[in-house]
Amino acid sequence: MFEKGHDLAAAFVRKQIGRRELIQRAGQLGLGVAATSFLVAQAMGQAMAADFDWKKYSGTKLKLLLNKHPYVDAMVADLENFKMLTGMDVSYDVFPEDVYFDKVTAALSSGSSEYDAFMTGAYMTWTYGPAGWIEDLNAYIKDPAKTNPNYDWEDVLPGLRASTAWNGVPGGELGSADAKQWCIPWGYELNNLSYNQKIFDKVGVEPPKNLEDMVGVAAKLTKDAGGPYGVGVRGSRSWASIHPGFLSGYSNYGQRDFTVTDGKLKAAMNTAESKAYHKLWVQMIQESGPKNWSTYTWYQVGTDLGAGASAMIFDADILGYFMNGGDNKEKGNIHYAPFAANPAATAPTPNVWIWSLAMSSFSAQKDAAWYFMQWASSVEHDLFGARKMDFVNPVRASVWKDEEFRGRIDKSYPGYLNQHDASAPGAKIYFTAQPLFFDLTTQWAETLQKMVAKEVPIDEGLDQLAASVDKQLEDAGLGG
Amino acid sequence: MERSSSLEKAIRGILITAVLLFFLFPIFWIFLMSFQTNEDILRIPPSLFFEPTLQNYSALLTGKLETAAGSLDIAFMRNLGNSLLLSTFSVLLSLALGVPAAYAFARFKFRLGENIAFTLLSFRFAPPLLVLLPLSLFFKQLGLTDTYIGLIWVYQLICLPLILWIVRGYFEDISPDIENAYRIAGHSWWRTFRRIAIPLARPGIAAAGLLAFIFAWNNFIFALILASASKQPVTVGALAFVTASGIQYGQIAAAIVLSVTPTLLLALYAQRYLVEGLSLGAVKG
Repeated sequence: MFEKGHDLAAAFVRKQIGRRELIQRAGQLGLGVAATSFLVAQAMGQAMAADFDWKKYSGTKLKLLLNKHPYVDAMVADLENFKMLTGMDVSYDVFPEDVYFDKVTAALSSGSSEYDAFMTGAYMTWTYGPAGWIEDLNAYIKDPAKTNPNYDWEDVLPGLRASTAWNGVPGGELGSADAKQWCIPWGYELNNLSYNQKIFDKVGVEPPKNLEDMVGVAAKLTKDAGGPYGVGVRGSRSWASIHPGFLSGYSNYGQRDFTVTDGKLKAAMNTAESKAYHKLWVQMIQESGPKNWSTYTWYQVGTDLGAGASAMIFDADILGYFMNGGDNKEKGNIHYAPFAANPAATAPTPNVWIWSLAMSSFSAQKDAAWYFMQWASSVEHDLFGARKMDFVNPVRASVWKDEEFRGRIDKSYPGYLNQHDASAPGAKIYFTAQPLFFDLTTQWAETLQKMVAKEVPIDEGLDQLAASVDKQLEDAGLGG
Repeated sequence: MERSSSLEKAIRGILITAVLLFFLFPIFWIFLMSFQTNEDILRIPPSLFFEPTLQNYSALLTGKLETAAGSLDIAFMRNLGNSLLLSTFSVLLSLALGVPAAYAFARFKFRLGENIAFTLLSFRFAPPLLVLLPLSLFFKQLGLTDTYIGLIWVYQLICLPLILWIVRGYFEDISPDIENAYRIAGHSWWRTFRRIAIPLARPGIAAAGLLAFIFAWNNFIFALILASASKQPVTVGALAFVTASGIQYGQIAAAIVLSVTPTLLLALYAQRYLVEGLSLGAVKG
């Protein structure tokens, strides 16, 4: 009986059976909860690391600050396993995304030791890191005494590892040799096309191949689809309107936000190529974008696609993924395609948003917190979330090769694997890391709004933007 | 004369209906939304006809929403309870402190009196975020972080100045002669305050209390910064329906209906009371 119990626990650890089945079958074997827990913990310990002491901080209590997100749902669903594996207790505060970063900033700036680890985006670490609020995680990843030998950091997609590491020097290359690893990638999104196949079939168009093509296809969709508009992109006065589709297309033309010479930054948004790109983008929104484009955020872009109000979006792939499920009207009609805006480009170059885990410098139990972080970003948990929950996109190359995960995605999300596989090698943060990121990128979005509203001609608007950005960089001692 | 009067009545009726429609239609629409599924709400074009469902309310009340995408935990009722607790006790404390203080400022002239009153009012000028970071440091040292007592204390920044300044005005409007007459009859200051001043200023106290309650109810930044997820008010809780994987419009509408109800009931009750108090005074001349 005990041997069967071992096999059962091992099957559970390999995720071949779920928790309910484990309890049910353990009951049939006459095993109580305590005995089952013991066997599972034992099997897990054997599976994760034979020579790593997961119980070192047994009895420690950790507290996490989290954003309400499907990634968190996946973590919570698997959390009992971490508790059993380590003997640690974990509590967490989950806040809505609208107010989440206010909470994080307040907690960190007041030096609160309440939270040991928290979720963050990579862009935020450009503020938190130099302020001394978060830890450089290289000290943990590279220490075999702190990190289990099966962690396999190299398995995390290289573009994501680099995008979450910065040396703190304005304009410094992300992922450089002297960079500090401010956070660990947890789940991420890249920007491509999600489109409504039903509407595309009705109008008789194919997914566009480049930006010029997109302008034409979107206009035809707006004209012939009988209600829905052609293409959804974000437009609110926020840095978040620049970072998805817009910057992904922009970088595909080889354009940058800044040039860096001798450590000094200079605005690069007013080159001839940039102006040509902006013209196409603005034309696309004017002809085929949503009516209230200047108020559009993640939510409106996604809701319109899910409700059949738009024919396609050039935004986060996981936004399209979510709109193909739940109680969305167009569930099952959403397809996906890679998108390289520049006809001369060989592959897409999507900018990325990476939900990551960071460690508070004010935590009184950093080593124990790292135990949680390495478990939450482990192959095992990533695999669990990708197979059983909506933990997409996983950040590990090995998980993208997993047949069960690929089978699940391929079955319900046509083209999703293809768009990801074609784009992942070029997926990274294309912004220049610098402390004025949020202010200057928001100003870029504001300029885009004025251009779309025809308040300012495109060439003039970009020259004004570049001049204003240069002035601010100079005032902050970053330009020259 | 009569014809013009009925024309006048008709025009007035039309205008009142137009104004009511303009102001009440969004609330009516939200009320309808609270009985619809997300799919019905997002229909193009929107429609007044749908199959009503209580799913949104049951999800809020049971704390569990079952959707095709999975199960979603909802802490809304807890948030509602937190809002009730924080707003009620904050207003009660402010009334206990503010009404006697308002009386003192209205009736007595003392050294630095105006300065103190103005200082209390100036609490309303400070942007909350500016005071919250230092406050969170103090709270940490005092052990008040993530406690209801700490939050009720901070809510005094909202309630106390409002109550003090509104009630002070009411006390100043009441002639001191009535109180003096009562004092001459041999009653103590405290008894005069309780038996004469407070009953006369009751409409003002009710109005100030109601206003302070609404302000406290609508606040979200204090609890967000100073407390954990379990002590968040309804203003923060309602945002939980806006997630990366979609917006639960039906639950948001149901949450709005539920969260508006306490303040609406209180306003209706206090309004009747206010009208009664004021009209009684008018009849008596």
